[in-house]
Amino acid sequence: MILPSLCMKGEIHLEARTSKKRMSLNARNTLVGLSFILPNFIGFFIFVLIPVVFSLALSMAEWDGYNPMKFVGLDNFAAIFKDRVFRGSIWKTAYFSIFTVLFSMCASLGLAVLLNQKMKGKGFFRCAIFFPYVASNVAVAVVWNFLFMDIGPINNMLRSIGIENPPGWTASSDWVIPALIIVNVWKNMGYFMIVYLAALQDIPESLYEAAKIDGANSLQRFKSITIPMLTPSTFFVVMMLTINSFKVFDLVYLMTQGGPGNASTMMSQYIYNQAFISWSYGRSSAAAMILFLIVAALTALQFRLEKKWVSYM
Amino acid sequence: MKQRNIGYKIVMYVLLIVLTVITLMPLLWMLSASIKADSEVFSLNFSWLPEVPRWDNYSRIWSKIPLLTFTFNSVKLTVIITFIQVVTSSFAAYGFSKCRFRGRDVLFLFYVATIAIPWQVYMLPQYSMMNKMSLVDSHLGYVLMQSFTAFGVFLMRQFFMSLPNELLEAGRIDGLSEYGNYFRIALPLSKPSVATLTIFSFVTIWNDYMGPNIYFNSTENKTIQLGIKMFISQYSTEYGLVMAASVLSLIPVLIIFLSGQKFFVQGVASSGIKG
Amino acid sequence: MKNKIFRKALATTLSLTMAGVMLAGCGNTSEPAAATDSSGAQTEETVSQESTETAASTQAAGEQVTIQVPVWDAASNAHIAPLVEAFEAAHPDIKVELIDTASADYTQKLTVMLNGGNDLDVVWIKDGDTTPSIAARGQLEDLTPYIERDGIDLSTYSGVAETMNLNGQQVALPTATDYYILFYNKDIFDEANVEYPSNDMTWAEFEELAGQVTLGEGSEKKYGALFHTWQACVQNWGVQDGVHTILDTDYSFFKPYYEMALRMQEAGTCMDYATLKTGNISYGSVFGQGQVAMMPMGTWYMSTLIGMINNGESTVNWGIATIPHADDLEAGYTVGSTTPIGISANSQNKDAAWEFVKFVSGEEGAQIYASVGKTHALQGEDMINTIASAEGMPEGVAEALQTKNIALDRPYDEKSAEVNQMLGEEHSLIMIGELSIDDGLAEMAERSKEIQGQ
Repeated sequence: MILPSLCMKGEIHLEARTSKKRMSLNARNTLVGLSFILPNFIGFFIFVLIPVVFSLALSMAEWDGYNPMKFVGLDNFAAIFKDRVFRGSIWKTAYFSIFTVLFSMCASLGLAVLLNQKMKGKGFFRCAIFFPYVASNVAVAVVWNFLFMDIGPINNMLRSIGIENPPGWTASSDWVIPALIIVNVWKNMGYFMIVYLAALQDIPESLYEAAKIDGANSLQRFKSITIPMLTPSTFFVVMMLTINSFKVFDLVYLMTQGGPGNASTMMSQYIYNQAFISWSYGRSSAAAMILFLIVAALTALQFRLEKKWVSYM
Repeated sequence: MKQRNIGYKIVMYVLLIVLTVITLMPLLWMLSASIKADSEVFSLNFSWLPEVPRWDNYSRIWSKIPLLTFTFNSVKLTVIITFIQVVTSSFAAYGFSKCRFRGRDVLFLFYVATIAIPWQVYMLPQYSMMNKMSLVDSHLGYVLMQSFTAFGVFLMRQFFMSLPNELLEAGRIDGLSEYGNYFRIALPLSKPSVATLTIFSFVTIWNDYMGPNIYFNSTENKTIQLGIKMFISQYSTEYGLVMAASVLSLIPVLIIFLSGQKFFVQGVASSGIKG
Repeated sequence: MKNKIFRKALATTLSLTMAGVMLAGCGNTSEPAAATDSSGAQTEETVSQESTETAASTQAAGEQVTIQVPVWDAASNAHIAPLVEAFEAAHPDIKVELIDTASADYTQKLTVMLNGGNDLDVVWIKDGDTTPSIAARGQLEDLTPYIERDGIDLSTYSGVAETMNLNGQQVALPTATDYYILFYNKDIFDEANVEYPSNDMTWAEFEELAGQVTLGEGSEKKYGALFHTWQACVQNWGVQDGVHTILDTDYSFFKPYYEMALRMQEAGTCMDYATLKTGNISYGSVFGQGQVAMMPMGTWYMSTLIGMINNGESTVNWGIATIPHADDLEAGYTVGSTTPIGISANSQNKDAAWEFVKFVSGEEGAQIYASVGKTHALQGEDMINTIASAEGMPEGVAEALQTKNIALDRPYDEKSAEVNQMLGEEHSLIMIGELSIDDGLAEMAERSKEIQGQ
């Protein structure tokens, strides 16, 4: 039952029918499928896809945002790759993303499992952990900056347990990204916990009962039932976390504006700066194109791997 | 055995309480700031309690800006957009997961890949387009712009993918059309995911600042997040009022969360369909 | 199979891109291009012809015209409401519709509106140094024909108006003009038994004075000075002479001021940069709560401070002095910025928009600014006296506000914003001590050259 199975298994079966009929039925299936997708797709196509594609096309143009654009080939790409701020931003984004994805996933899965059991105050704890996700970014940025101050609570605590030179956090080039990772994990784990909680509801109790009868302990049950049953959600969580951390903007912008220096200038910040400080839409789009290609490659890779490790029922 | 259980419980509670304290810190900070004088909020001598609590911050925000109009607009837009998002996303997700047709996967790849583009990148072309359609400074334009996201489709697709095909097959044998299958079988079973998406959309739209900021010009169209920003000006900020308004703006979101919560408790598991 | 999908994806992307480009082609009409391409003389002629025609028709019909004016922080900017009121009273046939945006996002929104083809009428530019970019896109009407028609004397702006003359086109006129002055806390000076800062002081004297008025320890400590976290609060003193600008590519003129700031930080006579920055500490609250004796800050802070005192948030006993200067400069050389206002090239009501521009930048507008304690580019004696007599102003304001020269903190240049952003990045590294002053200045020079393409 838990074996990976292909999604087509239960889809509209046509095998029994004659091949002549199959053609028209295929067309009919396409129509039915499209009719499901269309209401969303029309809006999406007009209001999102067209502007997106148009923006990406801009990466080959020189444009001030108003006057006719000039085709410049790959000049914009050459320019941004010559810019060390951009090159740095790729590594910083990757560094930030890898750890954010890893920690957020572990934290949200752990919390979901923890808060899915029978216990007192479950509702309160869920609500509390979800809260940072809802809280306004402005307040969040302010509070964490305060916590991270050298004379702030975190460093005072570190000093009291004997660490003489606690990190400078947001006032240090080396520690600013770890600090941002902590805040980001903290902010988003609540939402992904909810995604996992929703998925945990879908695991039939009978599976656990059966495993218990077979003598599996709780760790074994977790490994052989919970984890595999959660793979579709994990796939979603990993994808969303990857995408979100690659384009992280608001929180970083509010907390550090990419500083100190450009120690926390990540790709989206660079894209923003190019468009709204340097007024260079072409270079901004070229940087966005690189971001898009990286994320698209990761997405495609994950979809390719999806069939290997995600088990749909 | 029993002792180990108790030990585990203690560790668990301690861990949860520590986490809760940390996560609630910003809320406490917001609450404390909301009853402070502006100059007390970011001062060197930080304290959790103000010298003189200024409860009138909560009444002043209503008179200084048209907060009632803003709240009404926010509620209206959030509810409409969330509704459209949930309905069209779940509908499309069913198509992407349970119907097979040519080009489906390519189309889906497009959907997901667009999530990766920061809005700032396509904001300008989008605005140009909306301006030509005379949809700027109107709620309709904003609704159209925000209602069709790839995120919702992706989330719902993941749920439908894990829905056993046997169930749908049974529906087909019973003579249900694909639409019947969707409405009678798939949709009712997807309650937890719908709740997850609802919360997500609600929070996103409710907290959206840049969208309304770019698209709304006239006061009667503006939303609560724009209202909060009105207390922040170029050289000085009325932090007490900002925080009071932020605290108030949290309430609707928490209500949505609490009412969505029960769907995580009573999922399909209890109905035993999947066993 | 997967490969096929990707190839298809690629093909679809390409075709969509084509569609996008085509859309863009239709989207961006060649109209603005034509306007910029055609010779100046021709444009002027058309403009004046057009404008007289519209003016005639408007007046003949006596129709009500509505102009759209984008502004920032309308609620907290005390001058906006009285300006609009006075303008509408003087021009009953014109109605002003404000588009209010938060200051932090104003420039971005204005750009999107202009680029998106919105037909707003007046262009009020918050960051003066973005003027050349907006003008280069052809979005600002040349005001020269209007100025000639109405006989406006630009020399009354004492040189400020000329900065808005780009390639022979007067694209905007100046309105509010803020510049740096020195705020001080009289109580701290009294406590230390030191004389108040004078209107003629060098930076070396300032540093010494700060040492004398640093009092106490721990949470009760009173600091001698506060340099806010903006790079302007250190770098400005290097460009105060009006000779050097941030667009130079050798920044050694910043060096004495970085040395001063770091020395003072080390000695504890000014507040620590890292604490101010990470704690988001607002200079207004630190000064308002009497924790600092002296603070170089813009003239805009006067009205904020009066407001704080009026609603009981601060009891500070304050005064102002002229900003300190370098040894080889006279007192009265300061740094500041001005707020340009112009007409959108896309406007349908250029004449009505001009009336508004003329009003705000002119004598009547300046009086309204002064009445709420704000400084305007039109800076006659009586203007300064109006400010000094505004409610809540301490004594000696009129003397302290005198200027000999106001250097622009950011020159009007397309690269200004980008260079400024870079200087801010390097500034933070120097101030937290991760980069030595020399290395920091060298890096600034190198990056500035890169940005300016030298």
